[in-house]
Amino acid sequence: MSMSINRSRKNNSPLATFQNLLSDKKSRKIIAPIIAITIFLIVWQIFSSGPDANLPGPFKVVAQTWELIINPFFDKGATNKGLFWQIFASLQRVAMGFTLAAIVGISVGIVVGTNGFLFDALDPIFQVLRTIPPLAWLPISLAAFQQSNPSAIFVIFITSIWPIIMNTIVGVQQIPQDYVNVSKVLQLSRKEYFLDIVFPATVPYIFTGLRIGIGLSWLAIIAAEMLIGGVGIGFFIWDAWNAANISQIIIALVYVGIVGLLLDKLIAYVAKLVVPENK
Amino acid sequence: MSNFVEVERLGKVFSLPNGNTYVALKGIELEIRKGEFISLIGHSGCGKSTLLNMIAGLDSPTEGIVLVDDSPVKQPGPDRMVVFQNYSLLPWRTVRENIGLAVNTVLKHLPKQERDRIIEQHIDMVGLRPHADKQPAMLSGGQKQRVAIARALAIRPKVLLLDEPFGALDALTRGNLQEKLMQICEENGVTAVMVTHDVDEAVLLSDRIVMLTNGPESKIGQILEVDIPRPRKRMEVVEHPSYYSLRSEMIYFLNQQKRIKKIRARKTAAIARHGLEKVNLEIGFLPLTACAPLAVAKEKGFFKKHGLDEVTLVRESSWRGVVDGITGGYLDAAQMPSGMPIWLTLGGNNNQPLPIVSALTLTRNGNAITLAKSFYDQGIRTLSDFKDYLLRTRDRRHTLGMVHPASMHNLLLRYWLAAGGIDPDTDVSIQTIPPAQMVADLRSGSIDGYSIGEPWNLRSAVEGFGFTAATDLEIWLGHPGKVLGVREDWAAAYPNTHIALVKALLEACIYCGDRHNAEELREILAREEYVSTDKDYIQFDEPDANTCSLDRPMQEYAHHQFYGEGINRPIRTEHLWIMTQLARWDETPFPRNWVEILERVCRVGVFSTAARELGLDISYNRSSIQLFDNIPFNPEDPIHYLNSLKIKRDFAVADVIIDSRTPQKIA
Repeated sequence: MSMSINRSRKNNSPLATFQNLLSDKKSRKIIAPIIAITIFLIVWQIFSSGPDANLPGPFKVVAQTWELIINPFFDKGATNKGLFWQIFASLQRVAMGFTLAAIVGISVGIVVGTNGFLFDALDPIFQVLRTIPPLAWLPISLAAFQQSNPSAIFVIFITSIWPIIMNTIVGVQQIPQDYVNVSKVLQLSRKEYFLDIVFPATVPYIFTGLRIGIGLSWLAIIAAEMLIGGVGIGFFIWDAWNAANISQIIIALVYVGIVGLLLDKLIAYVAKLVVPENK
Repeated sequence: MSNFVEVERLGKVFSLPNGNTYVALKGIELEIRKGEFISLIGHSGCGKSTLLNMIAGLDSPTEGIVLVDDSPVKQPGPDRMVVFQNYSLLPWRTVRENIGLAVNTVLKHLPKQERDRIIEQHIDMVGLRPHADKQPAMLSGGQKQRVAIARALAIRPKVLLLDEPFGALDALTRGNLQEKLMQICEENGVTAVMVTHDVDEAVLLSDRIVMLTNGPESKIGQILEVDIPRPRKRMEVVEHPSYYSLRSEMIYFLNQQKRIKKIRARKTAAIARHGLEKVNLEIGFLPLTACAPLAVAKEKGFFKKHGLDEVTLVRESSWRGVVDGITGGYLDAAQMPSGMPIWLTLGGNNNQPLPIVSALTLTRNGNAITLAKSFYDQGIRTLSDFKDYLLRTRDRRHTLGMVHPASMHNLLLRYWLAAGGIDPDTDVSIQTIPPAQMVADLRSGSIDGYSIGEPWNLRSAVEGFGFTAATDLEIWLGHPGKVLGVREDWAAAYPNTHIALVKALLEACIYCGDRHNAEELREILAREEYVSTDKDYIQFDEPDANTCSLDRPMQEYAHHQFYGEGINRPIRTEHLWIMTQLARWDETPFPRNWVEILERVCRVGVFSTAARELGLDISYNRSSIQLFDNIPFNPEDPIHYLNSLKIKRDFAVADVIIDSRTPQKIA
């Protein structure tokens, strides 16, 4: 600490200050990505500034979508809504599908994980089902539900449930023998065993499953919405493509990426609150 | 209420993935009294944890049964609470909640207030009040184990089962927790079974120590009673006279298990060569000056000269190792104390007669009785001084060490004491201690004296904590010291090898007996593979009187005799005298068929053949046995002699039946 202070006192030139900022781990975490993004934008601008460029450069994107950026809350009826409402609609579907997947997935996972017979019976089926791509479920769900919104929710559900189930099963199966022994010696009832041992011991695994699940949900919803239409960021992108508005697509992609990141961080944050500090 | 936990014919067989089975435990019988603390000790993989788990009910036996309080163990239950090695605390619960889970589940029938009181009481008991609301991840290893112990004790188990509870802790924490556990167990009368691999921990905590042999088919090898009074303190138990003998007994057992494992892995067949039936011999010896003939035969090539190309000398640390090696069949021959062949033949070892033959006396003399220097400082010089002293201090326990019940040291020490009117069993306590340990014991004051072969008497005198109270000169000049012993069935199977061995050792004895070789002998013996001591302690001539810094020269030195007229011949009368002494102190019965036994043990024929082939003159004048007290020993009527002795035990006279040819068992 004192060494870095001494060094900054000796060299007061701007370059030296910058170097100091980079050598400090905290400020580097912020400065380094900014540099990377800047370089990326410059390269993008260079490549798209040619006369026959198909894609707009960053300046053009911002200029063309300025209305959308500064006003995310407008609502002109039908599907003509601000980006906030588009994303909000998508998030609602994800919330419903993912919550259902979490409830069903954790319950099924715990039951299957504790029962050897069920595990042997169902594991091969799970292994096959989990490899099916999200969109492949859509025709079936449309056929089953006859409506676009429940179908989209079902796709979310069916996509995100597998990692949740698989991780919960592993978590249950990996419960340390010590905890099982403790419950045996104390002769805990089945209910006490589930509530006091199995569930808390499995929580870290469950959250791993939830994190993978939420990522997949967000992947799936964009694709599903492109096909089923209505309000939602997925259809917004599809709509922009039909209107040949590449700038809108690009700005929507940026939003999709940021929301996906935030969802992941949210689950990680909740996990940190719930999961015990267990070496 | 006598037997609280009963383990009956318990066995455990594991099926292996390749379809075979592994017998982990077999025929375990153990009875545990209420309030008793038992330790299970053994090498890794001997099944001690499996045994504990079967008592806990976490593992089910494949045969036999465990009874706790007269009901069979079928499943785990809180009456047999376990403290696991890795604590097994639930990491998402605080200290209080961890203890609470146990109390609230097991003691459901109690009102909540009472349960809370129990929880808080046990938090205090292990001194974790400041940490009651922390989760285990924030605690140190020792604190975690304290929580586990509190959790276990809080539910008032009938038996507390501990699986290496302190194994993962540092020494300081371990010591503190051991004392804490001991105190809690004593205060609450807890019955406990603990698995450990720490011998000191076992001695400190246990009433009995159960030692398991190595697998497969582990069984209880030995059970030690720990006679150290309670309450015990960690720093004080080490001063108790039993402490080191218990400790060395355990270490001996564990080492022996390791050796048996090695021998099982090695197990070579007899190699026949040069017209001899077996040239690869393993010969046991103890690090004493008296091992000189063996060392010389090896170093100067006498074994090779007589065709024994592959002789390995096996250095044992106690005579017990020799006994186990001979009975187990993994030693071909051994240097033995002169009483051992008779003792083994008469069933001195676990009442199982094992016929041994001796065809060569390796050494005579070289033994002495040493007393602690403090006796000298109090003016004790003679046997009668010592007796007066013992009469004055009847309230104290006086411990004398000797190396083996069948050794001449024991017999001479007892004879010497008894001749002076001291009963060796009631007036003093005589303990078996390995030779090399005696010096340390005398120095630390845990024993008051010992009877032993050189160099250990000389050494205590030189180092100034003991003095030689009597040597062979004053007890029985020219008594047989060490002899060569082999099993009778071995001698029958390898007769030519036996003669070759006697020849090689007899030549070595001649070499040792030559004074010109004394300097070289001292150098050889001082080496690490033999006595491993300072060369100055090994003396074959009169030692320099100055080596004893006391105000007058010590007792005259009875130097070893390796060769001379009648020195090496095995003499029946001497073995008969030994037989009477072993019966006198009730080590073995006196055999009614003593003539037959002497004929079988004492192989004069082999000795004569060997000597003749070497061209030695073996003429010998039979002389009677004369000890310092001038009581005549009549070899024609040993029973009359025994009856005439004043101080003796109630000895038994019985026919000792020994099978003519016991099949040779290899461990």
